[in-house]
Amino acid sequence: MVNRFSEPVHTTPVATAIDIHQHLWPEPLLRALSERREPPRLVRAAEGWTLRLAGEPDAPVDLADHDPDRRAALAEADGLGRVLIAPSVPLGIEALPARQAEPLLEAYHAGLAALPAPFGGWAAIGTDAPDPDALARRLDEGFAGACVAAESLAGPAGYERLGPLLETLERAEAPLLVHPGRAAAPRGAPPWWGALTGYVAAMQEAWYAFAAWGRPAHPRLRVCFAMLAGLAPLHRERLTARGGRADADPGVFLGVSSYGDRAVDAVVREIGVDQLVFGSDRPVVAPRELSLGDAVRAAIRERNPARLLSAAGVEAAA
Amino acid sequence: MSALDRAALRDLVTRIAAEPERWRGLVRHDTPERHFEQLWRDDTVDVWVITWTNGNDTGFHDHDVSSGAVAVVEGELIEERLVMGGAPRRLHHVAGETFDFDASHVHRMRQDSAAPAVSIHAYSPPLWRMGAYSVEPDGTLRRESISYAEELRPVAAA
Repeated sequence: MVNRFSEPVHTTPVATAIDIHQHLWPEPLLRALSERREPPRLVRAAEGWTLRLAGEPDAPVDLADHDPDRRAALAEADGLGRVLIAPSVPLGIEALPARQAEPLLEAYHAGLAALPAPFGGWAAIGTDAPDPDALARRLDEGFAGACVAAESLAGPAGYERLGPLLETLERAEAPLLVHPGRAAAPRGAPPWWGALTGYVAAMQEAWYAFAAWGRPAHPRLRVCFAMLAGLAPLHRERLTARGGRADADPGVFLGVSSYGDRAVDAVVREIGVDQLVFGSDRPVVAPRELSLGDAVRAAIRERNPARLLSAAGVEAAA
Repeated sequence: MSALDRAALRDLVTRIAAEPERWRGLVRHDTPERHFEQLWRDDTVDVWVITWTNGNDTGFHDHDVSSGAVAVVEGELIEERLVMGGAPRRLHHVAGETFDFDASHVHRMRQDSAAPAVSIHAYSPPLWRMGAYSVEPDGTLRRESISYAEELRPVAAA
């Protein structure tokens, strides 16, 4: 008899499964959005609440998706011990003039700070008047790191503008989450248009911009790109063919949101499993269970997110 | 990036074996399972230092599309090559020895002495998927496609 693994199976220490990317609009933010008279705003229509963004058709909002008790129950059903809420960057709140953005950002942060376990959050960054001191306070309050739109870190100007914030993260040994921002869609486009076009391009651009300008300026910053950075790692052959360098960077992580076995396994082939983290994007999409084996599952849901969120973890692995 | 051939992989593990400052601090003799530390991974090659204790055994496996080379730097490893209808062909690799194999190679590695073993491994293209073999009670050979993580990032280390 030839066994696949003839070693005894050892009891696995209980580790915490972490989803680093969900969205939840806490009650103070829902109220603030509903009190606005211009986009972004929530509007009560005959059929329920709708979200109104500038230049986009109204989209229905199911408030049950933002009910903390319901979401905590879903997290438990998903086996998650910790869930990090990210700002819904495509709403455009962060890019509003500071005077408009501030009450909404305050509502987001106050609402998140009041959420029960298993929730934590990413601090949102108002890009009209970036405030490193405010970010430092958020980190002191327990926010895991900061989340910015991919478009705001697409080149040297973005890194210059947000540099002081990134230095604040570095000093606090807290990570950065790069999330797609707004994406234009032609009139009549299907609802997934932006997620498959503008988001992909913006995340790829942010990925290359980080390697070119972000990493040299911020050697210790840990950064996570949502949605597998638009599959940027799969373009490494093309990158090197065009004279670029595809250096490994152990401080960079990739969230798997909206992707499944084939794309995740393809990225594993390019960069290995150690930099992939579970980020579901709930409630935008339902979490997807990967079928790549228990070891990949443990790496993506437990070990790697812990390293993303803890400086000591990355240094130990480096 | 093109893949390294067997000679280049062997040269690589030989050179890394000769530079213990690169890996000595990552050797762990206090774990019951094999302990894996990745020293390098790029487009072309991944390199690992593996500590073996307690008769750790990989079971028969292949490396899918990757060739590989191993340098034993401490202790002794036993390699068994699968032979249909016969006993596995057994090779002993002691400290100071290296060996290499191509992607068609099926083998099993184990540590089978009182002293722990340490080995440097390189694979090109970098390990991605592997084949893990088992034999049914009726003798049927089965191959399961597994992620390299199953072998080198096992759950027990989480």
